Amino acid sequence: MIKYLVRRALGWLLMIVVATNVTYLLAWSFLDPRSNYVGRKPPLSPEQIENLLRPRNLDNTVPLVERWWTWLTGIVLRWDWGVSPTGGSVNEQVAYRMWVSAELVLGATIIMTLLGIWIGVYTASRQYKLGDRIWQGISIITMNINIIVAALAVVILAINFNKWVGTRVFFVTGSSSEGVTGFFPVIVDALQHLILPTIALVVIGYAQYHFLQRTLLLDNISADYVRTARAKGLTKQQAIRRHALRTSLIPVATQVAFSIPGIFTGAILTESIFAWQGMGRYFLTTINGNDVHGVVAVAAFGAVLTAIGALLADIAVVVLDPRVRVS
Amino acid sequence: MSTPTSKTVLSVRDLKVSFASEAGRVDAVRGVSFDLEAGKTLGIVGESGSGKSVTSLAIMGLLDENAKVTGSIQFEGQELLGKSDKQMSMIRGNGMAMVFQDPLTSLTPVFTIGDQLVEALTVHRGLSKSEAWDRSLELLRVVGITNPEKRMKSFPHEFSGGMRQRVVIAIAMANNPRLIICDEPTTALDVTIQAQILDLIEKAQDETGAAVIMITHDMGVVARTADDVMVMYAGKPVEHAPAHELFHNTRMPYSIGLLGAIPRVDKAEKEPLIPIKGNPPLLIDLPDACPFASRCPIAIDACVRREPDLVPVALDSGENHLAACIRADQIDADGLIGGLPVYPAPELHESALTRTPREERPVTLEVRNMVKTFPLLKGALFKRKVGEVHAVKGISFDIREGETMAIVGESGSGKTTTLLQIMDFEKQADGDIIIAGTSVNGLHSRKVERTLRRDIQIVFQDPMGALDPRMTVTDIIAEPMQAIGMNKDEIHSRVQELMDLVGLNPAHRDRFPGAFSGGQRQRIGIARALSTNPKIVVLDEPVSALDVSIQAGVINLLDELKVKLGLSYLFVAHDLSVIRHIADRVAVMYLGEFVEYGDVDDVFDNPQHPYTQALLSAIPVPDPDIERTRQRVIFDPETMSTRPATV
Amino acid sequence: MSTEMIDPAVQPPVGPDTTAERIPGKQLSKWTLYTRRFMRNKPAVAGIVIFVLMVIYSIVVPLLTPYKIDDQDFMNLSTGPSPEHWFGTNASGNDNWLQTAVGLQRSLMIAVTVSVGVTALSAIVGTAAAYFRGRVEQITLMIIHFLMVVPTFLILALVSNNAGGDWRVISLAMIFVSWFFPARVIWTLALSLREREYVDAARYMGVPGMRIVLRHLVPNIGSLLVINFTLGIVGAVGTETGLSFIGFGVKAPDVSLGSLIGYGAASVTSAPWLFYFPALALTLLTVSMALVADGLRDALDPTSAAGGRA
Repeated sequence: MIKYLVRRALGWLLMIVVATNVTYLLAWSFLDPRSNYVGRKPPLSPEQIENLLRPRNLDNTVPLVERWWTWLTGIVLRWDWGVSPTGGSVNEQVAYRMWVSAELVLGATIIMTLLGIWIGVYTASRQYKLGDRIWQGISIITMNINIIVAALAVVILAINFNKWVGTRVFFVTGSSSEGVTGFFPVIVDALQHLILPTIALVVIGYAQYHFLQRTLLLDNISADYVRTARAKGLTKQQAIRRHALRTSLIPVATQVAFSIPGIFTGAILTESIFAWQGMGRYFLTTINGNDVHGVVAVAAFGAVLTAIGALLADIAVVVLDPRVRVS
Repeated sequence: MSTPTSKTVLSVRDLKVSFASEAGRVDAVRGVSFDLEAGKTLGIVGESGSGKSVTSLAIMGLLDENAKVTGSIQFEGQELLGKSDKQMSMIRGNGMAMVFQDPLTSLTPVFTIGDQLVEALTVHRGLSKSEAWDRSLELLRVVGITNPEKRMKSFPHEFSGGMRQRVVIAIAMANNPRLIICDEPTTALDVTIQAQILDLIEKAQDETGAAVIMITHDMGVVARTADDVMVMYAGKPVEHAPAHELFHNTRMPYSIGLLGAIPRVDKAEKEPLIPIKGNPPLLIDLPDACPFASRCPIAIDACVRREPDLVPVALDSGENHLAACIRADQIDADGLIGGLPVYPAPELHESALTRTPREERPVTLEVRNMVKTFPLLKGALFKRKVGEVHAVKGISFDIREGETMAIVGESGSGKTTTLLQIMDFEKQADGDIIIAGTSVNGLHSRKVERTLRRDIQIVFQDPMGALDPRMTVTDIIAEPMQAIGMNKDEIHSRVQELMDLVGLNPAHRDRFPGAFSGGQRQRIGIARALSTNPKIVVLDEPVSALDVSIQAGVINLLDELKVKLGLSYLFVAHDLSVIRHIADRVAVMYLGEFVEYGDVDDVFDNPQHPYTQALLSAIPVPDPDIERTRQRVIFDPETMSTRPATV
Repeated sequence: MSTEMIDPAVQPPVGPDTTAERIPGKQLSKWTLYTRRFMRNKPAVAGIVIFVLMVIYSIVVPLLTPYKIDDQDFMNLSTGPSPEHWFGTNASGNDNWLQTAVGLQRSLMIAVTVSVGVTALSAIVGTAAAYFRGRVEQITLMIIHFLMVVPTFLILALVSNNAGGDWRVISLAMIFVSWFFPARVIWTLALSLREREYVDAARYMGVPGMRIVLRHLVPNIGSLLVINFTLGIVGAVGTETGLSFIGFGVKAPDVSLGSLIGYGAASVTSAPWLFYFPALALTLLTVSMALVADGLRDALDPTSAAGGRA
């Protein structure tokens, strides 16, 4: 079994490597670091520009193959993902931003998954009754609100709330405040910044798990083995909780794992709105700044997330489904 | 119907079940009444739509919430209807237990066998973990599972079908129930396993003294297990009698028809099967008339004026025999009414070909030394071979014009693989497949291959799955003709011709398969197979998915077509009674090899190989007198010989 | 006791299905049955009505309003809703009512084009991969998995940025990056379809492979495709909105709901109407489409418990 997972991991690794290289070439087709210096006053001469770009491996007079090789060896030998056109280290940027994004995304994912599953179970056992219908209505609306709309709506509400209360309870910009020290104050401050984007992400994201869990559970409720469980003497509720639920969790776990890359895309927009300096914001900065190395780093990050998601899904299936284990 | 005694375990009176549906209210069960005593077995027989399964689910209280149930069900004196789910759950698995049809889906795939057995015990009794464990081991031993300690930790998918059904029976027996309901418990199993499971249910009944309700469509199983038999049709019992009475003194025309439509494995003469024409009625807005009247050969005016009641038949023997037919008393013990048989016997078709000895007839299909091995693959990204499965180990046979050859075997024998090899035109490394004179090994071009496909066509088992639900009947029948490039007018007239030939009304040619019954869909499949005028038709279990009364009609059709069109048939099947009836030659397949091959009468009357003997011994015969006194043998694969059957 | 209906063709509590002869009066054609079931779902009907109204709004308003999209009303710069400007104006004096309508139109055009392309491409690739098995299947799956790893949003951003906001290029790019996810889902479904006997029957008749895919496999996942198409519109609108919001998608002078919201986000406290109206239009669009998809799922595939009622 371990061998199976290791083999899968290697497969994904290979794909990540290929994808990253492809992105490098794509980035160079669409981006031009030189254009950052066009229209500067006073204008720089071509030699000056070259002297700035060449040491950063961003000079497009150098043949592409050479640039590519320098970049690749930099990563493989020194784990150096290069520098931006202004000389800032990509490694530094990514290292710091990774955790900012993770902070935002992880909390939201966990909450929305648990909430969605709980509502799914609740509504499945009350199929077609009032509780089920109300939640269906709520979920179908929240699921289809665009993240931008949700985030901005949350911002508007928070600003109004702050005004009404008189103090800044919720922060709408940034991931943390300046000058806060001490263990508890830092945590409280982080939470105050975290709460709004998390609410926005959770509100629009929980419904897919609600519907998925509900469908799967309902499908399993009418399965033969649940009927057998009832014939043994379990009440309907007991049979559903013990037998149908366990079986239906497997695809949900898989779905969670596969949705990780999608959350990253959502984070891009959320970070823009809430001005968090995470990987999502970085994505925009690098494209707008013709930062080729940065763009590639972002792509690699996304690819790694997808692979992790797929592997987690595999692991979840192996852990939860005994049928896979033995074969 | 007798008055309940103190030994009565279950007493049902006027049970009615109905559902709401898009087309109206469906009356699935329209008035069932019976009593059942401890230690006795009631067999409920009926075809699909008769209401037998719904009755059993109603007794257990497992019907959907939107089912409307009225009447009275008394279990050990307690009225069950009206009890809440919680109250019923205390009786289910405790006083009453049920064994379902499909053992694969009946057990929860993610829990071990042990967990599921222990749960059955602990939900009713306050046993400690180790007590429940020990009792579970004991139960597994009782049902004949070896090495129970190891098996307790296994998952359902690691077991074979027969073993899974044993586990289901163990779960049913766990708390010494007084009533065991078995709903088609052996339909999904091979015939030899079926015999073992029926033995096991008998044993469970002996050990617990329980009453058993055996629900089935197989008259042979009924003959074997039932003390009393209740025949259901259109949601109501139409005949209710002790087993011997029912089989030998049948009084209701439907039951007579049912028994007449069954092929028998022990009868050598080729009597034509007697089909019942028409289809069972839809259970919506049924008129007050006999539901069988439109299909009954002896129906009179009075039959459609009022629905007959289930009343006793006047007998000298004093036995309690009920029938719902106003003419029941006019039918005598030989199944004759006014001197004539209730169902007129259809004519038997004889072809000129059968008069020529087989060696002188041309060969339509020849197989020489067919071998097929499957590699066992492991690995996710790049698969590699870790072993081999020898599905077919070198078989040879030939089929002559006008002949029907059957390959018989249980699951895993390799018969389906053989069939697919032939249809796929698989080139053989050390042998050959020769179809109507053309060798498959010599095929090198797509065009020649396509021309060859004209000569061999296939009819599939499942009438639902074999026809594309999104195509009209015309399109379905025309598809093979389009594939070989016939022109539109020719195709059009041929479709009409074919529909007439198989007994379908050409006016329905623009309908979709969903509008037809199972038997009619199978006829569409046959028409499709005949459209290119093939020399040989391969049939994969063509009647096993059909009801018995419909099955007979299709079998007769196949016989008729064989004579009319000079076809040869290759049947693949597991049902030996059907084979006995239609085949001229038979090969018995076991683990990829032919263990017996010859004329059908020789093989059936005088089986040489122990496997064939065991197979024949396991088939239930629809005659309680024979069935209950038979000596059965089991095949032992290690010694390759038979031994007498024990549980 | 509730009176939920069971469709006898789907869950027959009693045996054989109907014969052409046995229900002479109640000949329910497939389409009548579908429509009837759909109409029973009130939210779905509401969804269709809202959607149609919005389509009409997006087409009719630009034809009828006296304003043009880049007309500047210098008397009314950044003013709230008023009798002259029902949805208010932006900082350049453009009429928000018109801009929202045009933005909606543009978003719809892109979304429908993309959804058609994605549905068609994913259906054919998914079913063909399942049918042909072997190498074809392995290679197709490898390509799909590879594309899942490639940063498609990034590529989308790069390409549309470069295209300068041409909606046709954006649509094409969106089709390219969105087809493989539904293709994988369709492939999973086609795996069970390819085992059906009528597929084998067609093969044994000598029907060529691609013909089987188009004639037997694709029509039989029809209900899934219809639902995918509807949900695809929702997804495409969302993606395009996101893209235009961050400035890479539709660019000035062209407008889409995303670019309008992006613009409105900057002034969300000072001129909230510039955010509210496009956001409302967007939400109504996506919610109505989702309700319709739900209704379609119930009407076409009543066995699926995902729906609201049977």
